[in-house]
Amino acid sequence: MSRTMIEVNDVTMRFHMNTDKILSLKEFITRSLRGKIRYEDFTALDHVSFQVKKGETLGLIGRNGAGKSTMLKVISGILKPTEGSVATYGNVVPMLELGSGFDLDLNGRENIFLNGAILGYSEAFLKEKYSEIVEFSELGQFIEVPIRNYSSGMMARLAFSIASVVVPEILIVDEILSVGDASFQEKSRARMMELMGGGTTVLFVSHSLEQIREMCTRVIWLEQGHVRMMGSTDEVCNAYSA
Amino acid sequence: MAPADAGTLELVQGAVVEQIFQSKIQRLESVSVQFGNYYRENHGTITVELLRMDTWELIMSQDFNASEVREVTALTVTAETPAESVYDVPLLLRVYADSAAGDAVTPLRFSGADGEKEKEEGFALYLNEEPAEGRLCFSAEGEDYIWTGLHYWEFSAVLGMALILLCLVVYSRYRRGKRSYVVNALIAVKKYRFLIRQLVSRDFKTKYKRSILGVFWSFLNPLLMMLVQYFVFSTIFRNDVQNFAVYLLIGVVMFNFFTESCGMTLSSILGNAGLITKVYMPKYIYPLTRTLSSLVNLLISLIPLIIVCLATGVQFQKSAILALYFFACLVVFCLGLGMLLSTSMVFFRDTQFLWNVLSMMWMYATPIFYPEKILPENLRFVLQVNPIYYFLKNARLCILNGISPEPIAYFQCLLIALGMLLVGAFVFYRNQNKFVLYL
Repeated sequence: MSRTMIEVNDVTMRFHMNTDKILSLKEFITRSLRGKIRYEDFTALDHVSFQVKKGETLGLIGRNGAGKSTMLKVISGILKPTEGSVATYGNVVPMLELGSGFDLDLNGRENIFLNGAILGYSEAFLKEKYSEIVEFSELGQFIEVPIRNYSSGMMARLAFSIASVVVPEILIVDEILSVGDASFQEKSRARMMELMGGGTTVLFVSHSLEQIREMCTRVIWLEQGHVRMMGSTDEVCNAYSA
Repeated sequence: MAPADAGTLELVQGAVVEQIFQSKIQRLESVSVQFGNYYRENHGTITVELLRMDTWELIMSQDFNASEVREVTALTVTAETPAESVYDVPLLLRVYADSAAGDAVTPLRFSGADGEKEKEEGFALYLNEEPAEGRLCFSAEGEDYIWTGLHYWEFSAVLGMALILLCLVVYSRYRRGKRSYVVNALIAVKKYRFLIRQLVSRDFKTKYKRSILGVFWSFLNPLLMMLVQYFVFSTIFRNDVQNFAVYLLIGVVMFNFFTESCGMTLSSILGNAGLITKVYMPKYIYPLTRTLSSLVNLLISLIPLIIVCLATGVQFQKSAILALYFFACLVVFCLGLGMLLSTSMVFFRDTQFLWNVLSMMWMYATPIFYPEKILPENLRFVLQVNPIYYFLKNARLCILNGISPEPIAYFQCLLIALGMLLVGAFVFYRNQNKFVLYL
């Protein structure tokens, strides 16, 4: 029996939805005096439990607002669940949004180290992989230019190259990212497939059933915070598309 | 020495003036007595003696030439070795001479003293063995032991033992697999060292990225501020502080750090909203890096401080190194306050405007450019409740006066700094999981 990599135990995520956010002290006081603070609880995840074993690729499907992205954020530690707990065994690399923490005033090289540090890479690792990142991003001499002068495609290429250089134990993907021009899109897609295929544990969110069928060994269908269905890929996908 | 308003006796041969007193001096070094000469030149030898009345042992004695006495001259008897163990022992100060009448000096007396009070304190004046009103114009000088100074080695030993014990406890807990806060903090620092360094160097690089003078501003800024204030407060509002330039610059450097680091930490959570909602890292890293970035600035601004010290002729004293301790306390204090402010800022955006007003008030409540003496008595409490004042006062003492503050000051500052850090960290810790929901 292979090892459990992600354990989600009875996770509930509830948000306070004030009728409008109160962000000033005055507002807070006047409103609480008038008894006007109303919270509406919005439950994004409702008692969700599942486990992911080593080497599995688990797909998450569901409509917009079903709680998929919230689930990914809870697992990657950005959100702390209101109830229940999440345990992960191994280094988690969340590819939720690329280029978090890029600083426009710094050049490409400095941003590789900054962004790498934010993603949790070690200094030695970054130094070792530096040339690989630059090569993959195809930025060449632009690496010494402040990235405020980059085109959006160049920025995306750099971000993708940094994020995908690591071989994680647990990979969390929110849609397969294909960025840049046609040839780089092909290259990045191939890299994603390589990452997801190489014995890594993957948690994968997508709206493309085609990709889900192609990649996943097991699928969870979320609907309004509940697990609507959990099972083998074909079974769930057929039920979802029906 | 009380002001003289009368003479006692003309010190002719055989006349004796005796003053009994008690002192709370632990190492009595010298006694001075004031004499008058009736505006003439006198001759003969004056003898001033000091005896302890419990054993009638002579503590000090010295002869003086009467011809050297002018109107109101203080003659000082100095002990060869300071007299110890005379604390609160009744002492007898005896003055006599061998001059002829009309050729003798007179010890001066202060007669306005309250007689009853005099007796309570153990003072008594005898002229030719007859009790007399008033008191001889005399003074006693010496040194007191400072408790911690006497027990310096015991003190360090106890502190050292406590530290070693703490380390052992932490280590043994670690060995047994238990996690304690200290170990966790060390592990976190090791783990996130690279990230913190990257973030700090980012702050530092981007701050001066597009300015011509670049890093030089960190250096120039406090210097220019000091110059402006120096001009204003040494020409327009005059004051009598010695080494005013250095006095001012220490204040400017410390308070600048305070406002800069708190102002930057204030927005650390809000300003990094993009990161907090996308990537996981311990949230305390954000305020910590902002404080560390300001610390880099603080260290750079110490260079102009040293230069001004040298230029204005303030001698470098070993105690100046101790000032670093108070700078460190200030940094810890700012980190704590910053964590508190950044937490508050997430929930109430008013915090930044309140803070602007508060930091201005704080500036005027801190003796940066004025001497603390000018505050009227009824406003002194402002200083007593102002934590920055303690750091500032002690740092100045170390640098300007070349002495270490009393040990309690170290303890006070540590307590203030750690107290603030604990409060800030506690509030931050309790609320950090809610941050992401309010960004």
